[in-house]
Amino acid sequence: MLAVLRAEKVGLVYESGLIFKSRHTVLKGITLELQEGRTLGLLGASGSGKSTLGRILAGQQRPTSGRVLFDGEDIWLMPKGERSAYKKQVQMVFQDPEGSLNPRKSIERSIHEVLALLKVPPGKWQSRTKEAFEMVGLSEDLLCRRPAQISGGQCQRVALARVLLLRPRVVILDEPTSALDISVQAQILNLLKELQSDLGLAYLLISHQPEVISFMAHETLCLEGGEIV
Amino acid sequence: MTDPSCSDRPILVVAGLTVGFETAAGRVMAAEDVSFCLRQSETLALVGETGCGKSVVASAIMKLLPRNASVRGHAEFAGRDLLARSEKEMAEIRGKEIAIVFQNPSLALNPIIRIAEQVAEPLQVHEHASRHKSIKTAEEMLHRLGLGSREAHMYPFQFSGGMNQRAMIATSMILTPKVIIADEPSHGLDAGLVDETMKEMMKIKEQIGSSLLLITHDLTLARRFSERMAVMYCGEIVETGKSEEIFNKPLHPYTRALLDCLPERGFHPIPGSSPSMINPPAGCKFRPRCPHAGERCMKRPRIVEGAEKDCDREVRCWLY
Repeated sequence: MLAVLRAEKVGLVYESGLIFKSRHTVLKGITLELQEGRTLGLLGASGSGKSTLGRILAGQQRPTSGRVLFDGEDIWLMPKGERSAYKKQVQMVFQDPEGSLNPRKSIERSIHEVLALLKVPPGKWQSRTKEAFEMVGLSEDLLCRRPAQISGGQCQRVALARVLLLRPRVVILDEPTSALDISVQAQILNLLKELQSDLGLAYLLISHQPEVISFMAHETLCLEGGEIV
Repeated sequence: MTDPSCSDRPILVVAGLTVGFETAAGRVMAAEDVSFCLRQSETLALVGETGCGKSVVASAIMKLLPRNASVRGHAEFAGRDLLARSEKEMAEIRGKEIAIVFQNPSLALNPIIRIAEQVAEPLQVHEHASRHKSIKTAEEMLHRLGLGSREAHMYPFQFSGGMNQRAMIATSMILTPKVIIADEPSHGLDAGLVDETMKEMMKIKEQIGSSLLLITHDLTLARRFSERMAVMYCGEIVETGKSEEIFNKPLHPYTRALLDCLPERGFHPIPGSSPSMINPPAGCKFRPRCPHAGERCMKRPRIVEGAEKDCDREVRCWLY
């Protein structure tokens, strides 16, 4: 099966200090690939470089060595139009669901913001919102509320709905359930599985919980000190 | 007022505790008719999902609720009702007799006072110990919880969430209180540190002979470190019993559903979502999500004591 997203010998080194430079290696020669309809689990302790690798794959940070290929093309050498398509198709869901949403905006405004960016005609906003909310099992009654007025699980579903509006092919899930209660965690993990089987999404699931990885992932990589072990 | 099931030397008896908050959106019933007892030297876990009212119960016992709260019921400690005591009397009890470890240690600690000074403060206030002696005792306590003398003289903002949590635990235990209320003590700790910190906390608790009310949403943590468990749902205690018994044979449909969410039981989600505490469902609050709901569940179920022929077991459900 062809990989949608592939990391080839990705490395990241931070340099600090003005006169006495020090180098800190965060990632060393990481190679992995994400395939349609499959989940790759990335397991590791805090500080092992999991989230940094997620950001590199999502194109939010440039590696200091190696390449990230989307449909076989290096994301940092893509023409502008293709890079914009890649950015829409590779999305990220973060750990803190409330922090992922603007606290001053209603849920509806946060959703419409994405639709405006996608240049969807305003006449279609309501139907697209309804469709995304149905996919994640949310009631439209929540649209008028602000993030602080809904639960953590509902916030995470809204974050997922925003991601789904972009019709992504790859979703990078950075500890998507570790801030949630066990019952909400079970709901979100089952929802992610359903969405994957309906939409054929490729997931990179970043977690420090082996039980979450073993429930979700088809393959697993363990990261320690920036290296796959 | 004393809970009849608590014949085994209770130290804290909470009976019919009801807490409501007046808000712009309406009256929030955060705790309703909550009753339990904490026995001498035991660890009782109060478990439930976020927002079910666990922390409100702790704050009500300590009389630390905001002004818009209305409280009914009793919390009997050492033969007297805490809820009837004056603020001056409570100030004497807090820290010395009953200590609390708050959920958010980074907010509970003063950011501009060194850790050892803050841990030592209860000794200076309640026992009039000298600054030098109290700081030395604080350093020893911090050391037992894995924080060296260098860390003891740092500020809370220089600490991680987990280090601040351990400092809070040290502060709560330094006066050897009779009761410790630990509100999510594992909050902010890495998986490895949870175990280490909890074990050390339990060891100190054993040595000073305190009783522990462990408030947590982590069922596995509650099972490992408590003798008995009370399960809360939407402001009510729905089931109480020995922790092992509750895990092995849960009686209330909510307890069963909650345990089925655990990774080792396959992450089976509970259908629906927790109801609003402003307009909760009539009768049994779990009724809209319960697979066994029937006509009789429209009425509030009574507490069945001694369920499964176990005098420690209580369940609030019409099935029993």
